[in-house]
Amino acid sequence: MKITTKLALACTTAMLGTAAHGEAHSSTYTIGITQNNVGVDSYQTTYEQAFIAAAEANENVDVVVLDAGGDVARQIAQMEDLIQQDVDAIIIWPTNGEAVIPAVRKASQAEIPVIVTNSNIAEEGFDFVASFSGPDNITQGSRSAEIMCDRFKDLGIETEAQVVQISGQPGYTTAIERAKGFEDRLPEVCPDVTLVETQPGDWNREKSQQVMEAFLVKYDDIDGVYAGDDNMGVGALNAAFAAGRAEGITFVGATNFAVGYEAMGRGEYWGSIYQSPVDDAEAALQTAIDVLDGEDIPFLNYFDTPKITQDNMDEFTKPVF
Amino acid sequence: MAELTKKGLAGFLARQGILVAFAVFMIAFAVANPRFIDIDNVFGVIRSSAILGVMALGVTFVVIGGNLDLSVGSMMSFSTIVVLDLHDKIGPALAIPSMFAMTMALGAFIGILVGYLKLNSLIVTLGMLSAIHGLTLTYSGGKNMDIADKEGTWFAVFGQGSVAGVPMPILMFAALAIVLSIVLSKTPFGRKVYAVGGNGIAATFSGVPRARVVFMTYLVSSFCVATAGLIQASRSMGSQNTVGQGLELEVLAAVILGGASLLGGAGTIFKTVIGVLILGFIQNGLLLMGLAFYAQYVVTWIIIILAVWLDIAAKRGALWSRIA
Repeated sequence: MKITTKLALACTTAMLGTAAHGEAHSSTYTIGITQNNVGVDSYQTTYEQAFIAAAEANENVDVVVLDAGGDVARQIAQMEDLIQQDVDAIIIWPTNGEAVIPAVRKASQAEIPVIVTNSNIAEEGFDFVASFSGPDNITQGSRSAEIMCDRFKDLGIETEAQVVQISGQPGYTTAIERAKGFEDRLPEVCPDVTLVETQPGDWNREKSQQVMEAFLVKYDDIDGVYAGDDNMGVGALNAAFAAGRAEGITFVGATNFAVGYEAMGRGEYWGSIYQSPVDDAEAALQTAIDVLDGEDIPFLNYFDTPKITQDNMDEFTKPVF
Repeated sequence: MAELTKKGLAGFLARQGILVAFAVFMIAFAVANPRFIDIDNVFGVIRSSAILGVMALGVTFVVIGGNLDLSVGSMMSFSTIVVLDLHDKIGPALAIPSMFAMTMALGAFIGILVGYLKLNSLIVTLGMLSAIHGLTLTYSGGKNMDIADKEGTWFAVFGQGSVAGVPMPILMFAALAIVLSIVLSKTPFGRKVYAVGGNGIAATFSGVPRARVVFMTYLVSSFCVATAGLIQASRSMGSQNTVGQGLELEVLAAVILGGASLLGGAGTIFKTVIGVLILGFIQNGLLLMGLAFYAQYVVTWIIIILAVWLDIAAKRGALWSRIA
């Protein structure tokens, strides 16, 4: 391989002569990205900043950074713009897993590799996608179940504990996958723990506080709360505080937020899943570069999202969002 | 009309059909799960409804005045984010009045467009819904806002404090409801709001300053939104940029459920309060019943339709009418 490259390079240089040699030896990629909705939450805002920073740090990459503002139609138009500009690769953070498929297909027909970031598109579109880079939400859910179960074992209540779940927005893939991972894994690791009820908190702190208030009224015995992200988990924690029942409850979330990290520091919140938007952005860019370099990468190219609890939180920096 | 033709209980029912609906649901939910009427639960529900409720009080003025306000949801996000941000920069004592001033400036702006320039309120406030959302995101740079030192501030009192066992959000909601109810029913300004909404042209010819009254209703509405933002911020001590998203429709649902006419000129603060409580207790009741949540959206709609039907049925004294 190396020899071939050198030979090719030597030929090119020889053919183009000295005038073009500057362009020939640096293989600069132009990578376009169309994001979901920057500015709507801190995760996406940090993601964009990290993406731009990573691209600036890499002199072989030029990026065209676009944002769909949560609008499917605008995202499809941006995909078409990027195809027109003939970029080398397109990274898309889908506004909708189904609706963007035709635009992704169009890019793939124009022989521009498409990398999906953060949340995958629907399966029908997989043929047109070079790689998916993002978190594995099912693993996140099952890791949360393990964190919860390990804690119950430490407390010696693994034979009787009752858990409630506050899930994300109904219909949202991340919410469904995390819930599935948690619900499948919990009975495997802690068969005697019961998940008594699941209700959605819609990724909203206030809403999950209300849901938790209702749970506290309804159940006299709640030992654990699993929330689809820390923002909702902190809402549930607030409700438990107001009812004077926070002490006896193990709170486990996902996507560690600064508020969750701080609550862990105060010993109020037990654990979460550490998902960094910086890792997410860097992984997306790296995946695109690897695809362009022709490297062999898995179709589902997950970046690692480790467990974080009160015991090991010192190993992690506080999330910026 | 109803007062003249019906007497006693029947007359009461006719005027307060929505109260009957409210009572019916309360009893049904209490039978399904006795914990529903647990005092802690009742307080919990009213406390969570207070944010929506405070906003609905203001929107009641706007709706009776014959206009709509769809901007209250994103305006509430704005107030919440602003007060949380300013809290850490200039302290709560200055942050709160500054936030009220900024929110009411937005209300005044809408008031000028709808009142003095006579632009269609649906278009103006629908536009402001996204414009204020953009303003909030620009202000915060898209970051969540959190109070850094949650222990060392008295700011939590509005959302988490209580007086004699009654949570502060409930007290603020009740106090504001009483004051605004008096303003609407006992003052010249209140009567002008009804006049302008009932028949704007007639009101103008009777010497009622229509533009100024409409302007004032938006000012009242933005004041209420600022209060709601204060409660919200103080309750969670941190917030996303989208905290109020979608609330404008819930608020409008509560106001209409309470019987205020979308065409203006009719409605009362008391009935809006009942509308707010019905929505709050439905959500809580369905949660306590443990109904699958996809079904809850449908059931919520069915209950709202039932409530409106019961309201109308009580007014006409029959479940259905042969003549339209």
